[in-house]
Amino acid sequence: MTLKDRLLRVAHLLFVILLLVQLLPDRSTKDVYTGALIAFAVGLEALTLALSFLIKKKESLTLLLDIVGFIFVLLTVWSLATAKFNVLNDLLFPAPGKVLHQFAEDREKIIINIKSSLGITVKGFLLAAAAAIPLGLFLGWNARLGGAATYISKFFSSIPPIVYIPYGIALLPTFRSVSVFVIFLATFWPVFAGTMSGVMHVDQRIIDSAKVLNVPKPEMLFSVILPAALPQIFLGCNQGLSVSFILLTSAEMIGARDGMGYYVKYYSDFGDYTRTITGLLVIGVVVIGVTFLFNLLQKRMLRWKK
Amino acid sequence: MPTNKIEIRNLSVDYTERGKQFNALHDVSFGVGAGEFVSVIGASGCGKSTLLSVLEGLYQAAGGSVEIDGTPLHGTGRERGVVFQHYSLFPWMTTRSNIAFGIKQARHDLSRRERYQIADEFLGKVGLAEFGKKYPSQLSGGMQQRAAIARALAMNTEILLMDEPFSAIDAKNRIILQELLLSLWEGDSPEHRKTVVFVTHDIDEAILLSDKIVVLTAHPGTVNEIVQVPFERPRNRAELVKTEEYGRFRNRLLSLLYQDVAERIGGEEVVL
Repeated sequence: MTLKDRLLRVAHLLFVILLLVQLLPDRSTKDVYTGALIAFAVGLEALTLALSFLIKKKESLTLLLDIVGFIFVLLTVWSLATAKFNVLNDLLFPAPGKVLHQFAEDREKIIINIKSSLGITVKGFLLAAAAAIPLGLFLGWNARLGGAATYISKFFSSIPPIVYIPYGIALLPTFRSVSVFVIFLATFWPVFAGTMSGVMHVDQRIIDSAKVLNVPKPEMLFSVILPAALPQIFLGCNQGLSVSFILLTSAEMIGARDGMGYYVKYYSDFGDYTRTITGLLVIGVVVIGVTFLFNLLQKRMLRWKK
Repeated sequence: MPTNKIEIRNLSVDYTERGKQFNALHDVSFGVGAGEFVSVIGASGCGKSTLLSVLEGLYQAAGGSVEIDGTPLHGTGRERGVVFQHYSLFPWMTTRSNIAFGIKQARHDLSRRERYQIADEFLGKVGLAEFGKKYPSQLSGGMQQRAAIARALAMNTEILLMDEPFSAIDAKNRIILQELLLSLWEGDSPEHRKTVVFVTHDIDEAILLSDKIVVLTAHPGTVNEIVQVPFERPRNRAELVKTEEYGRFRNRLLSLLYQDVAERIGGEEVVL
């Protein structure tokens, strides 16, 4: 890529427009924290410029710049609608600078809540995967049991895991353990079903190939069937992961004392919509971050696939 | 006369499709001597791949017997290496690991390092020295078959079973692979050569490679004729195909194959 390809981009123009818009006088009656917005925009722009020099593929750079450009446009429109022209109710719609400022102010509290939410998700998810993958592997390998288990898992996975919450509360001592339990259930069935379907649908030619090599039974299961089923197992894990976040935040809004869902619910009960929106955006960022990391793992483990 | 390495006697194989029972192979008998290269040819549907599945131990015969070194065959065995048309290699292992994995199954006495050493040696022999770290999906079809051959040879089994290994390869690479296999097999001294059963529908491939060709006819699959290939080894394709003898021999095989088709078209049973 030439220097022109790297630097002469629309996203940078959008950044300048966002800054120019901030020169307009504020009409909002509340604090709008324009400084926080400018600091954020400058930070994002600096990061983007740094990455512009590091990224090797033109398509990846274009994608990044388009996403950043989109964020600048969003911030510009948001800023115009709130701080600059005050066309929205400024109690319900805080200015972008105010949300960013709130985030900076609450960052310690937010990090504690993220840690709590992630701790529960990771625990429930790992427990479910650790139980579902071996079980699915053994049941799927047994043609007769596998057939029946497929229907049984269909039945259980058709129950929305959220309805287990009241029962879980009766069953388990702490709200945290209830959350882990619900995430376990939400993840277990898709991973179990994915593993079984993966095992049951391994290409016969691969099995034949292993058979003529005289691969012994245990090695057949762990060195042949398991890796062959891995793409389907990951499909189940992805499904489990996305349901987990929905469930966790829902559960936290019901009765938790910390976590991101609790943060959003708690402050919206007080009418603190700045913090509500801050919480929503943070949840989005966290979920995207976790999904991104999980996809990296998946890409690495399935790198042999075309 | 020495006993055969593989002895197939009155083999018959049935299969059921939509409730109807078919006779895929009927009363097939032939022997394969130790160190002999035997091709099985026939039109598609003649049961030649089914025959090989029985030898591989993947398919049960309905009648007759197969003996290896005088012992009845039961299931798969360590003395047989197999190359399929597709998916001989595991897609999640690198080429090198695939070969080392095969060696591990065939020879338990070797250490991990020794297995990988042998794997590298055979990768070199098939011209894939640079491709050990690639996954099968990153290789062309021809390269995948090279690696599959390398694995079968590295396992150092006495018998090699090959089920149309070059059928899915383009014409130019098929010739290169045939010559590679020929030179690797002929490279061993005659008493150390592997016993090979090679299934194909390509007459030239069969002539170039084999000592003996078994021609099957279809519906049900029976042995039409067993033909000795009269050409001296080591063979050279370019010189061989120019000779008059080659043309005559090839025509004879063709007529053996077409005889079957002609009879079926002439008779009642026209299957195309």
